[in-house]
Amino acid sequence: MDRTLTLAVPAAILGYLLLSPQAAMAIQSHGGPEGLYVHQMAHILFLFSMGALIYWLRDSGLIKAPGWRYVQYGAFCLILWNIDAVLGHYLDGHGSSFVLADEGSWSARVHFGSGSGKLVALYYFTKFDHLFCVPGIIFLYMGLRRLLKQV
Amino acid sequence: MSLPVYPIWICDLVGSALMILFSFLCVRLAGKLRDRDRTNVVWLYLLAVCYMLAAFAISRSVDHIIKRILLVFHYDSLWVLVRPFSGAFNTLTFVFVASVTLFFGRVWKVYQQILEDKLAIQTAHEQLLFMNHNLEDLVEERTRELALSERKYRRIFEVSRDMIAVVQDDGTLLTLNPSGMEMVGLCGGDMSSGSRLLQDYFETVGDWSSLQRTLQGQGYVVDTEVSMKRADNTLFSGLISGSVEDRSRGNGEIYHFLVKDISYRKAMEQQILQADKLASVGQLAAGIAHEINNPLGIILGYTQLLIRSENENSQNFEDLRIIEKHTRSCKTIVENLLSFSRRAQTKKAACRINDVIEEVLSVVRHQFQLEKIVIIEEFDPRIPAMAIDEAKMKQVFMNLIMNARQAMKSGTVRIETRYEETGRKAIVRVIDEGMGIEARHMTRIFDPFFTTKPTGEGTGLGLSVSYGIVKDHGGELLVESEVGKGSIFTIILPVLQTVNQTAEPGAGKRSQSGH
Repeated sequence: MDRTLTLAVPAAILGYLLLSPQAAMAIQSHGGPEGLYVHQMAHILFLFSMGALIYWLRDSGLIKAPGWRYVQYGAFCLILWNIDAVLGHYLDGHGSSFVLADEGSWSARVHFGSGSGKLVALYYFTKFDHLFCVPGIIFLYMGLRRLLKQV
Repeated sequence: MSLPVYPIWICDLVGSALMILFSFLCVRLAGKLRDRDRTNVVWLYLLAVCYMLAAFAISRSVDHIIKRILLVFHYDSLWVLVRPFSGAFNTLTFVFVASVTLFFGRVWKVYQQILEDKLAIQTAHEQLLFMNHNLEDLVEERTRELALSERKYRRIFEVSRDMIAVVQDDGTLLTLNPSGMEMVGLCGGDMSSGSRLLQDYFETVGDWSSLQRTLQGQGYVVDTEVSMKRADNTLFSGLISGSVEDRSRGNGEIYHFLVKDISYRKAMEQQILQADKLASVGQLAAGIAHEINNPLGIILGYTQLLIRSENENSQNFEDLRIIEKHTRSCKTIVENLLSFSRRAQTKKAACRINDVIEEVLSVVRHQFQLEKIVIIEEFDPRIPAMAIDEAKMKQVFMNLIMNARQAMKSGTVRIETRYEETGRKAIVRVIDEGMGIEARHMTRIFDPFFTTKPTGEGTGLGLSVSYGIVKDHGGELLVESEVGKGSIFTIILPVLQTVNQTAEPGAGKRSQSGH
């Protein structure tokens, strides 16, 4: 008796839903900011993965070899670069604070609106993100070269 | 407030160019690493990361370099068209590098496991190949080692002076080494003819049962003394150690025994005990004799004085003669005790022992002939003159020869002398075919006043006096006897040719040997 009820009740609900259809919004529309969010999330994922790489290199004891130690330094630089990029992109979103004038000419300047001095300096500094990613790739190159010598 | 943008542009242009340059250099190096070992998952990972970083560098260059160019040359609309693709591609490269990296930790562990398994398989494979190629040599070498080992242990088994026996739990002898066979009086053929039981060579079956119980209980026995018997029923003392071979087997156990014949050691211990006992008795006897000797001398002196003053036919005269006779008997006994305890005076002079024995025999020969006892003499003429107290040694030989005569009704008494040049010893053996001495009496025959003869036939001082005299000469008096077959008395004397002096009482050479 109980078993019959257990099967009959869900079957009745399913039948009701199938026999009474309504209009559905099947495809979700995406606005412009989603691209920036995805990019930011990708930076964070990249940052997290570099952290995981450093943990894995240390946990497996590979950093005892100089080649892998350089790879670890490279990963650390890329973490710093990701932080810089995330901050830079975040500050880019505050259009009222920073205005780029004459962007298409060599005399282009950044004008600062209501932002504080420290925030201005931080924004300006984040634009020099190559100071982190270039050392990162150079360390990776040095690491690979040492690994090639070891093998 | 405003800041110039050109430092950022310069940094971007130079940085982007460096990024492209080093990312491609990284791809080249990672490619070389991959080429070294194409199955190495680590190199594959690095190559994939480098490819993505190169793609990332290119996308950044689009973002930073082309952007500047397009904007400088006023192609703003074109940049608006390119920008989303550049940004999206840039994002994809991050995600790819991050995904590969995040999964790589797990892939690395699996790869390590694969490497371990590969190594194990490779090692096993190499071992199999090696065995396949060298099986014949390996078997030959192993056979040689086994043969060598077998020979080594076989030799231990065969040359051991102790019995080594392998026995089933019911006592059936499976293997017995040559010493074991000799110990129990078997010859080689005896072992192959029918099964034999170890317990058959135990004097009492109870000893075997006790051993069996101990073996079953604790798995071994150590230095257990048992009385064993040979095939001809003669007894010997054995010291047994044994263990169970493999207790896990269900169908019967195998015992390994090591049996040491300790008869000689036990005999030596017995002799030491005997010598200690006789030394103690000798001290006691000497003390008593010394105290009695003087009063006896006084009694004898006064008795002789009284005899002189009495009429020969009177009753007093007869009584005094009886007193004198018994006093003299007492003095003889006391003198014998002093001889036994080696306190009597010894007068050593150079003489030939063969002559001394001959003189004794000349006295007794007639009596022996009457009793149809044959005397056989085997004298070694090489025995040189020795420093001995002739009178006392005559007493010793007389005691031994008369004992031999009394032990048998008829038969042969053999008297042998032998000279051992190496040890400079003269050995005299008196061998009779008499009734022999029972084992229980063997430890007491040298005790003063011990005799098995009927009352009145002996004082029990003969052997003890002889023992004392021989000891006083630095020698040994030994006895071997078997009931019903006869006895052998052996005198071993050191040959001292240069001594020709009168020894002081008790100054004779004392033997430190265990007799």
